[in-house]
Amino acid sequence: MPAPVLRVDRATRRFGELVAVDGASLTLEAGAVSAIVGENGAGKSTLLKLCAGVLAPSSGRVLIGDADLAPATMAEASRRGVGLVHQHFMLVGAFRAIENVVLGAEPVRSGGRLDLATATARVRELMTASGLPVPLDAITDDLTVGERQRLEILRVLYRGARVLLLDEPTAVLSPLEAEELYGTLRRLAAEGRAVAVVTHRLDEVVRFADRVTVMRRGRVVHEAELRLEGGGRRPAAGLEEELTRAIMGGDPPPPFAPPAFAEGAAVALAVAGLRLGDGAGRTLLDGVDLEVRAGEIVGVAGVEGNGQRELVRALAGLEPRAEGTVTVAGQRLDPRARDAVRARRSVLAVVHEDRHEDGLMLEASVADNLVIGDLGDPRSIAFDEAAVVARRLGRFHVDPADPARLAGELSGGNQQKLVVARALDRLLSARATGAAVLAQPTRGVDVGAAAAIHAAIGEAAAAGLGVLVVSADLAELRRLAHRLVVMRRGRIVATLPPTASEAEIGRAMLGVEAA
Amino acid sequence: MSAVFSLTMVAETLRISAPYACAAAGGVWAERSGVIQIGLEGVLLTSAFTSVAVAHATGSAALGVVAGVIAGAAISVGHGLLVEKARVDAVVSGIALNLSAMAGTRLALRGLYGSASNSPAIEGFRFGPTGSAGWSLLARVFADPVTLLAIAAVVATPFVLARTRLGLRVRAAGENPVAAAAVGVDVTRVRLSALAISGAVCALGGVHLAFDQHRFESGMSNGRGFIALAAVVVSGWRAGRAAMACLAFGALEALQIVLQDQARKGSLGDLVQLLPYVATLLVLAFAAGRSAAPKGLGKPAEE
Ligand SMILES: Nc1ncnc2c1ncn2[C@@H]1O[C@H](COP(=O)(O)OP(=O)(O)OP(=O)(O)O)[C@@H](O)[C@H]1O
Ligand SMILES: [Mg+2]
Repeated sequence: MPAPVLRVDRATRRFGELVAVDGASLTLEAGAVSAIVGENGAGKSTLLKLCAGVLAPSSGRVLIGDADLAPATMAEASRRGVGLVHQHFMLVGAFRAIENVVLGAEPVRSGGRLDLATATARVRELMTASGLPVPLDAITDDLTVGERQRLEILRVLYRGARVLLLDEPTAVLSPLEAEELYGTLRRLAAEGRAVAVVTHRLDEVVRFADRVTVMRRGRVVHEAELRLEGGGRRPAAGLEEELTRAIMGGDPPPPFAPPAFAEGAAVALAVAGLRLGDGAGRTLLDGVDLEVRAGEIVGVAGVEGNGQRELVRALAGLEPRAEGTVTVAGQRLDPRARDAVRARRSVLAVVHEDRHEDGLMLEASVADNLVIGDLGDPRSIAFDEAAVVARRLGRFHVDPADPARLAGELSGGNQQKLVVARALDRLLSARATGAAVLAQPTRGVDVGAAAAIHAAIGEAAAAGLGVLVVSADLAELRRLAHRLVVMRRGRIVATLPPTASEAEIGRAMLGVEAA
Repeated sequence: MSAVFSLTMVAETLRISAPYACAAAGGVWAERSGVIQIGLEGVLLTSAFTSVAVAHATGSAALGVVAGVIAGAAISVGHGLLVEKARVDAVVSGIALNLSAMAGTRLALRGLYGSASNSPAIEGFRFGPTGSAGWSLLARVFADPVTLLAIAAVVATPFVLARTRLGLRVRAAGENPVAAAAVGVDVTRVRLSALAISGAVCALGGVHLAFDQHRFESGMSNGRGFIALAAVVVSGWRAGRAAMACLAFGALEALQIVLQDQARKGSLGDLVQLLPYVATLLVLAFAAGRSAAPKGLGKPAEE
């Protein structure tokens, strides 16, 4: 058995009253890919931060090799070969990719002049060796999410990491990109590194990890070897369920079944001829036509960057330059009309894909975040803020259900619940007719919470809303939707039943003709 | 008309632009690091006064320059400490800086020299030719150590920001402090360093103003810090462009002086004086909204 390269020994980390990591132990070995799973707020990110010296443990130890990580700082951990890729991108958008790689560990010539030529040469070598291509001279904001993810990993490798910690690296990736990423991670492990990956996607654990650690409320509650003696893998059968049980500490939720939907229902959301350019001659939306009927759940599939984001933004009224018509519950929504915002709000709920950028005020309280948008309405005189906040917290099991806490202090999954709660509850409680548009509703969300969000989506449809779900997770779409549409290059190129095979959907996404 | 395209014009432009350009370069240093700095005016004033007071007391112009630069850097770092450590609102701190510089220099004028309006004359740097037009004026401008230092600082700013480790970290701190901290950059320290440089560079402008007049006059910065700030914004926080904007502004002011000489007898003179300000307004009106501020401007160092 190879020697452990990193060991956490009964570490505890408190934030005031709250115990985020509670006497957890973890061993990472060279050559192995370890998965860490657990509910939102279970302490996974905090555990990784302890390993990488970003946070110091309140008690317990972190050992790298044979020696304690002391002082418990990022610089020391990095010097000793531990690198962390954070749950959210930590990249400077305005920088060229190569500048992001070197930031904090810059090679310099005399006078503190950056030596980007040397850095570029080294990073190119790393790219070929590790199979992580990134256009190094491109501006980071222009990179795809996949490229940004690779950039983050390159940056850690550039610092000579022997222990690679990745916090939900696949949350933003399409299934294909995720598979590629695991290929890379396996290769990096085979070269003698220790790799740890936090994820909510259990199928990834079953397929790619050598072992798995389950966390629950700060503690390690379950560990399993997935690589059998003699080289085989543990059979997948029953494994996902075993993990789900351990994660939730009880029975897994019943599988989602979309509510019955009557074909002849009224049209809830109609999009006709929606076009949008980026102002520099590039077409982002190229005439989108789409109908969602009351009670229907329509899934939008597509390779990321094919106009899904813009479609959602245009529906939300955030793209005033968009041409074409959007009609919700028989009411034409014109972003330029007076009162456009209120008109939209009363019939349409939108969840944006980037909860930090478009969904939340991280510096404001949970309560403020839950009711923003309901205030400033003449009817809001009778608006019982405390009651609404309590209802929204309860309905979506936000944890901790503390209205006074800052949104930025919640775990990622619970932040997502806030955004969904605000959007759906508004229409559901008002018994309004209309539509809900949700982009990546369960990105970074644990099994239990994902089930709760799916149930809420089902509830919304059953209540007569038309629901449009955009997701990079094909399995999720196939489970949720009555009908799938595939977007490519800013248009809808195919309509498929959810029973279509992943291969068939994948072909439509890539624009390859069926053989 | 030939007066407009003359060596005098070139020399005057350089002389007049120097304080603007230094203040703008100082503004770029501060704001690219993510710290809002509307106190450039106060930095100009404080450094101008300090340089004159020290030069007067010691009889050494060089010591005056050094003292002015140190004073500028010190109050700029003070602003940084208030904003980054004590979490004082940067606009409030900037206003306080401007007001106390205004009042403080006035008070010191009275206390030290018993005057409400100006200090006694200082020698400054006097060597090289002495003419006030043409070749000799240009030569005089280029033989002035303060002008040379100012030019060096302004020219070096974009280079240092773009090509050095310090510059990279300053830009990272200004664009995304959280991301910078995540890779081990000490954002607070970087910002304070940037503010020290900002203050020092801006101070060269203040020293230049005072040495150009060979004395300190109450309120002699006369809004230059704010015009420089406008240049920073209009240029989209890019040092090179901000310097060009200041040069253009200096050229208009020089033009106004030259034209005014010629139009002295007519009533045109007053109108001509408005020229640089009208130009600023026009540029602001057209450039507004098109520039991109650093994304982390005004954002605290920690999550
Ligand atoms: N800086 C902080 N201050 C206060 N509380 C925090 C802080 N960071 C995390 N917490 C709390 O600690 C707990 C564990 O958070 P952590 O981010 O480790 O969860 P996680 O398992 O990564 O969840 P997710 O899957 O949602 O990312 C949560 O309750 C969270 O609210
Ligand atoms: Mg996490």
